[in-house]
Amino acid sequence: MAYVAVSGGEEAIEASIRLLEYYRSGTKKDLDLEVIEEKMSLLVDRVMSEAGLYDKRYAALALKQCEGSTDEAVFLLRAYRSTLKRSYDSLVADTRNMRLARRISAAFKDIPGGQILGATYDYTHRLMNFDLQQEDAPALCRRVQQEVEEQKPVEISPCGRVSDELKIEGLIDRFEPEDEEPFDVTQNLLEFPAPRSARLQTLSRADTGFISGLAYSVLRGFGQVHPTVGELRNGYVEIEVPYLEDPTESLWIGEILLTEVEVFNEADDKDQLKLACGYGAVMGRNENKAIAMAVLDHELNTTGDFPTQNDEFVLLHGDSLEMNGFISHLKLPHYVTFQSKLDAVRKTRRENHG
Amino acid sequence: MEKRRISKILARAGKEQVKRLADEIKEDYSPVIVKAPEKSLTMIRMREPVQESLFYLGEVIVSEAIVDLDGAKGVAVIMGDDFEKVLDMAVIDAACNKGVFRRYDFLEQLEKEQTYRLKKENALFMQTMVSFHSMDAEVAP
Repeated sequence: MAYVAVSGGEEAIEASIRLLEYYRSGTKKDLDLEVIEEKMSLLVDRVMSEAGLYDKRYAALALKQCEGSTDEAVFLLRAYRSTLKRSYDSLVADTRNMRLARRISAAFKDIPGGQILGATYDYTHRLMNFDLQQEDAPALCRRVQQEVEEQKPVEISPCGRVSDELKIEGLIDRFEPEDEEPFDVTQNLLEFPAPRSARLQTLSRADTGFISGLAYSVLRGFGQVHPTVGELRNGYVEIEVPYLEDPTESLWIGEILLTEVEVFNEADDKDQLKLACGYGAVMGRNENKAIAMAVLDHELNTTGDFPTQNDEFVLLHGDSLEMNGFISHLKLPHYVTFQSKLDAVRKTRRENHG
Repeated sequence: MEKRRISKILARAGKEQVKRLADEIKEDYSPVIVKAPEKSLTMIRMREPVQESLFYLGEVIVSEAIVDLDGAKGVAVIMGDDFEKVLDMAVIDAACNKGVFRRYDFLEQLEKEQTYRLKKENALFMQTMVSFHSMDAEVAP
């Protein structure tokens, strides 16, 4: 059989793209972007985090465009991002001064500043709430606004980290602040062993399911650590850029919602035990991803034969765009390569059977 | 007033409030747009607490604009894609740089209202502060 390259299908492809509208056309109700942004905020957070791009409105738009597919939404945001120039690197965002919305520790009952549960599904009964089928959204909005109005103002005070105390006690290693410019995985190809900055950026952008699964494998025994969450916090972090006309000044450009985690595990230090830490930080409210990131950060500091101790394995296979792009390519026409494989199989069979 | 403080108040303020301040300036001056509002990216730099090193968290979409007000330049950058607001903020910045901005009292008032609102929101969060009660210690028989 001869190999035949084919072309064609343009009209079918155009019709296929038009058909996508069919799946979004089942109702006359529009899906307002504000509704996605405000009522699907955890989904929006996930998409922003995996895209590595913080913009709630655009993440909502991307989700609307692709029927709520997280990997397509990440693709759209990454593609759009690539059309924009980068004007600034922010000043170093100070998460110590985060305006806290939630802060807990699984390691200590009493932590300076207290444990703030914030908003969490952890203590809810996972029972379907059928009342939401006929929810009065304006009434909900009014009621909560009213509740805020009735509050007695409480001073906003930043909290130090739980690890600060352990560092003072000498149980955790202390390092001097290091100001070396970070590696940027959006501009450079990763090389291994990857610098710490590349590791953290890659894990923070990684697919939530991928790193959660890897962290789960570590905890189940395919890894060396089973750490304790020393601190989990989420809240608002202020972002500033330099003021170009005067380097002594800066501009406040907004704040982002961030989840940050530190995990602790015991570690050997020559002749005595100490604690070692792993760190996770992700855009939005996504606690399991931040914990998974911290577990993997910690695990990657250990040596051994588990896949999660291999930074090339962990860092190269969890990017949503690359991972889904590569898997997706399998369904594109491979007529020539498959014919080649088929010919090889047929030829071998003919030879074997005389 | 520092640029950081002014930009924080204006970024948090409503679009109409910012427009009113810019319009007042435009009554006496005719700002020239040096750089029309456009979208770009800002990469967020962070310091991680384990080894105190820097890393990039990801990017945010920002809008920026530059104007000239009678020889004084004004610059504004904010998260998001509100071109009208960022242009108005650049006009206000130019007026500050030229020394003709007179509404600092209004900015202070806005800041008070913004802080008051955030403190009320904070009160909601702080209601979830856990108060632990020690249980009776169990004594082994």
